[in-house]
Amino acid sequence: MIVFLLRRLFLLGTVLLGLSIFAFALGYLFPGDPLQNFSGLRYIDSTQRDLLISEYRLDQSYLAQYLAFLERIIAGNWGLSFASQQPLLQEIWQVLPATLELTAYALLLSFVLGVPFGILAAIKPQGVFGKTISGLALIGYSLPIFWWALLLIMFFCIGLGWFPSGGRIGVLYEIPNVTGFIMLDIMYADVSYQQAAFHDALTHLILPTLVLATYPTTVMIRFVRDAMLEVWDQNYIKTAKAKGLNRLQVLYRHGLRNALLPVIRQIGLQFSALITLAMLTEVIFSWPGIGRWLIDSIYQRNFPAIQSGLMIISTLVITVNMLTEILHTLFNPLARKS
Amino acid sequence: MKNRLIALLVSVVWLAGCQQEVPETVRSGLVYCAEGPPEHFNPQRVTSGTTIDIISQQLYDRLLDIDPENGNLLPGLAVSWQRSADGLIYDFTLRQDVKFHQTRFFSPSRPFNADDVVFTFERIMEPSHPYHFLGGGNYPYFQSVNWAALVQQVSAIGPNQVRFELSRPDSSFLSNLATDFAAILSAEYAANLLTDGQQALLDSRPIGTGPFRFREYQKDVLVRLYRNTDYWRGQSAMEQLVFDIVPNNAKRMAKLLTHECDIVAFPRLAELTLISERPDVKVQESTSMNVGFWAFNTTKAPFDQVKVRQALAIAINQSAILQAVYFNQATAAKGILPPTSWAFEQKLPDAEYNPQRARELLAESGLAAGFSMDIWAMPVQRLYNPNALKMAELIQADLANIGVTANIVSYEWNTFRRKLSEGEHDSVLIGWAADNPDPDNFFSPLLSCAAADSGSNRALWCDPTFDLLLSQALSTDNQEARRAYYLAAQRHLHAEMPLVAIAHSQRFQAINANVEGVIINPYGGIALFAARRVLP
Amino acid sequence: MAKFRLYLEENNRSPLAQLWREFSRQHSALVGLTLFASFLLFSVIAPFITPHDPYFQADNLLLLPPSWAPDGLVQYPFGTDDLGRDLLSRMLKGTTYTFGLALVTVLASLMAGLALGALAGMSRGVKSSFFNHLLDLVLTIPSLLLAIIIVAILGPGLANTAWAIILALLPQFVHGIRNAIADQLKRDYVTAYRLDGANNWQVLTRVVIPNIWEKITVMSSMALSTAILDIAALGFLGLGAQAPTAEWGAMISDSMDLIYVAPASVAVPGLLIFAAVLSVNLLGDGLKVAIQKRRES
Repeated sequence: MIVFLLRRLFLLGTVLLGLSIFAFALGYLFPGDPLQNFSGLRYIDSTQRDLLISEYRLDQSYLAQYLAFLERIIAGNWGLSFASQQPLLQEIWQVLPATLELTAYALLLSFVLGVPFGILAAIKPQGVFGKTISGLALIGYSLPIFWWALLLIMFFCIGLGWFPSGGRIGVLYEIPNVTGFIMLDIMYADVSYQQAAFHDALTHLILPTLVLATYPTTVMIRFVRDAMLEVWDQNYIKTAKAKGLNRLQVLYRHGLRNALLPVIRQIGLQFSALITLAMLTEVIFSWPGIGRWLIDSIYQRNFPAIQSGLMIISTLVITVNMLTEILHTLFNPLARKS
Repeated sequence: MKNRLIALLVSVVWLAGCQQEVPETVRSGLVYCAEGPPEHFNPQRVTSGTTIDIISQQLYDRLLDIDPENGNLLPGLAVSWQRSADGLIYDFTLRQDVKFHQTRFFSPSRPFNADDVVFTFERIMEPSHPYHFLGGGNYPYFQSVNWAALVQQVSAIGPNQVRFELSRPDSSFLSNLATDFAAILSAEYAANLLTDGQQALLDSRPIGTGPFRFREYQKDVLVRLYRNTDYWRGQSAMEQLVFDIVPNNAKRMAKLLTHECDIVAFPRLAELTLISERPDVKVQESTSMNVGFWAFNTTKAPFDQVKVRQALAIAINQSAILQAVYFNQATAAKGILPPTSWAFEQKLPDAEYNPQRARELLAESGLAAGFSMDIWAMPVQRLYNPNALKMAELIQADLANIGVTANIVSYEWNTFRRKLSEGEHDSVLIGWAADNPDPDNFFSPLLSCAAADSGSNRALWCDPTFDLLLSQALSTDNQEARRAYYLAAQRHLHAEMPLVAIAHSQRFQAINANVEGVIINPYGGIALFAARRVLP
Repeated sequence: MAKFRLYLEENNRSPLAQLWREFSRQHSALVGLTLFASFLLFSVIAPFITPHDPYFQADNLLLLPPSWAPDGLVQYPFGTDDLGRDLLSRMLKGTTYTFGLALVTVLASLMAGLALGALAGMSRGVKSSFFNHLLDLVLTIPSLLLAIIIVAILGPGLANTAWAIILALLPQFVHGIRNAIADQLKRDYVTAYRLDGANNWQVLTRVVIPNIWEKITVMSSMALSTAILDIAALGFLGLGAQAPTAEWGAMISDSMDLIYVAPASVAVPGLLIFAAVLSVNLLGDGLKVAIQKRRES
């Protein structure tokens, strides 16, 4: 097990190293002056330029430049945003929690809905119920998310007027940003309208969560169904049936436990899909998260922001994947062998 | 903490259809959905109407104001003013007991006085001023009217007396003081920041004398203002004013229909009939002095040739544009000056659509084979051009008819304007909305040589004949004489065609039916001081 | 209707015929195939059958409602957009861009993946294992994110989108094909063939590839649905196809402004994207089931 962990950590280290080299190369790959791309300063006068060149070691070899870049990254000096001239790391910490919050709710929803429906669909795959679930899952799987979001907005917001069309909370509620997670911030906020604010934030949350959860839920249903069906064919299930256990008992004692193990691995895979879909969702629902921030940065040709957004998102996705894989292996000794 | 959790859980249950009581903070607040973020919070350094709408009238006052009804000058922070006989000296008597904003970051120790006025204008004029180069030393509007050369000195001649000394008589001087750009800043606040070494905050955490005070700016998300309880014109009815930044037109409209916004900037003209049928929304219409145009970068070949510019001008179908982009809610433009101006030249011919002649003109300039060019189209909706991208597509199709290949280029709005003022474009679809009723406002800031240097001259066109006409017009006070110069200037523009004027648009504002008192100034930004909610 | 069989039929059909038999037993798969075939057909012949020029701006026919509305015109079944362009023609043209381009990118990516996967699959040792784990991790970055990053570097545009998607799909092809090949190499018949004196190239082309093509087809169908969604998403975000290109995603974002006035101009392109992806998914699912059943039988 320790060897396995070490090997995984080594791999993680290598990938992060590769990522940092790629991010460094972006400074040169992006159009414009590398010095501007690295520092994020829009106007650099000649004295500042000399100072920065020696600080970033741009007059030395690429290796030295890369090491200087790495030092800055580790020290938390990620440069400035072209658009706002604010430190990038600070901006990222402001937008990242919003994305994590939305993603977490969607992930939760996809599990809460996906696992039971997947199991139900597997019990009688050819029955009406099973077919309906599989059919719906296929439809959800094929929906272009941005179009789906527009349909929901047209129907629920404009048509019925049930939910607001965008944002995290009504703009008239002044909730100070403490943790960045809106629900927590409301709890910490010292305002008289706490309950109303909480209610308002919830109504803002429903549609984006629903849209974001659509794809992972359908993937989850299909995954759990297939896993269940596969387990159902195994000899130990047949043995259990032969022993005279009824359907539910077989399902619970032998089927579920074995079928749901791979679901842990799914958390990681779903997370990366969610982060990507969150970009589209955030753009449509004006959700002030890192996805919208990154897309805006692309519109603004804000190269330093694209560079650091890429680093943060990729690191996050890769780390979460690695963690779930390790967890999965911990619970499932069989996976260690392969 | 535990109690709070329980309370929160309870409200989750409540969500199932239960009507929540609207708290006071929502009832006494107003939301304006803006089409873009402000660049910063200092009107002196701005040219974009987006920023002006958000900051000028709400946070600041000017020495003079413009009557939205008739364009006359009204007293603002100056109660009265006198002009010397030779037109070179203006003395202003200032209003007393006007207080600057009291906020979390600044408490004024004295009321507004002459020092603040001197500070405000010296910042623009004096390169040695500690704040002059904050933000790069660019004051586009003031540079475009050649302010530094015009005003020789601003001095306090008493605690509430200010004197402006000019180098030559200028008939548009007072009008310029009444524009949204000439907002009065606090000298005391600036001095405090200087001692703390925090100069940069002057333009990002503003202090003014206006009806609302600054609370917070969440970048690209919202601007939050609270009412100034000490405002000299009296308190605003609304306690809170939030500018929600929604660049997407469809989303702004959605927010109006779901009542997340009370006022929406620039509703799409296509939807005007649709929303005016709804009982909960009303549409306010007002005349506005503006022009949408297509400017050529005259420093780049082949746009430095008059014939090429003329060819492009007659290659486009103006009436199709008016119909598709403006939905016929605009007047076809003959020149840059709107017909409502007293200096308008009636005799200019209507815009011509003649692809055949355009091809001949191109052939005469040695470009019979056609060429390829970029059309920069604004990414946002503006008063003078509700959809520059659509317009660009129309022009693209028209140009294809005369063998010119056009590429449409667009960036995010602030990036777009930055790149534009660096002169990277071939041609651009943009426009201008008047800041004051003086006709000079359409000429000097747009097409003078000074404007070419400051970057607000989108055609980068510098023509001595034209500049001479402008300065001659400014040096006289006789309206008939000025008019003659401006007529000549318009004819000259038509011959030279540095830009193609396309349309003069009406200004529309979609407002929640229970909000009243929103004032749209034909000469500038929106004023929300008098806005209030009327509950049915 | 069952046929009357005079003689006992020989039950040894070719694998392809068996596959088709299993495939055609599923109704949903047949629906998928029909849809897929028609999209394929339209993407090829769209330029020749559009009733109007998809880029022609009819100045006098702006925002014409669909023909089922009271004041619609028969010549313009879906109506026109706000520049007077025929929506039906644009939808048809969009098939070439969204569906056709997705197909091309998948094929290109598949070719590159086949070459790299074969190289990786035929080699062994620590290097190969490390390479595999590395791909595992790169794979966890979703294709759309990869595509967005690549577009951010290359700049927006349809051609760049195509490159970005080819690159973004590549890791999953390389990974899948490498694993499939490695799996085949363990088989006894490969060893037997090697003992006959076959070299690597012969093993690959005569034994391995014929045995993995089914897997490759399923893989490609999944990649195709991803590619369609990614092209449309990038177009919608304004990072892919640029105006006036009639790409479905870009058309949706173009028509967003008109969503209240002309809802059809948003609804129909979205429906088309959905139908295209659904057809590919139905096809892919059907294939998967058919392959599985054929193996079992």
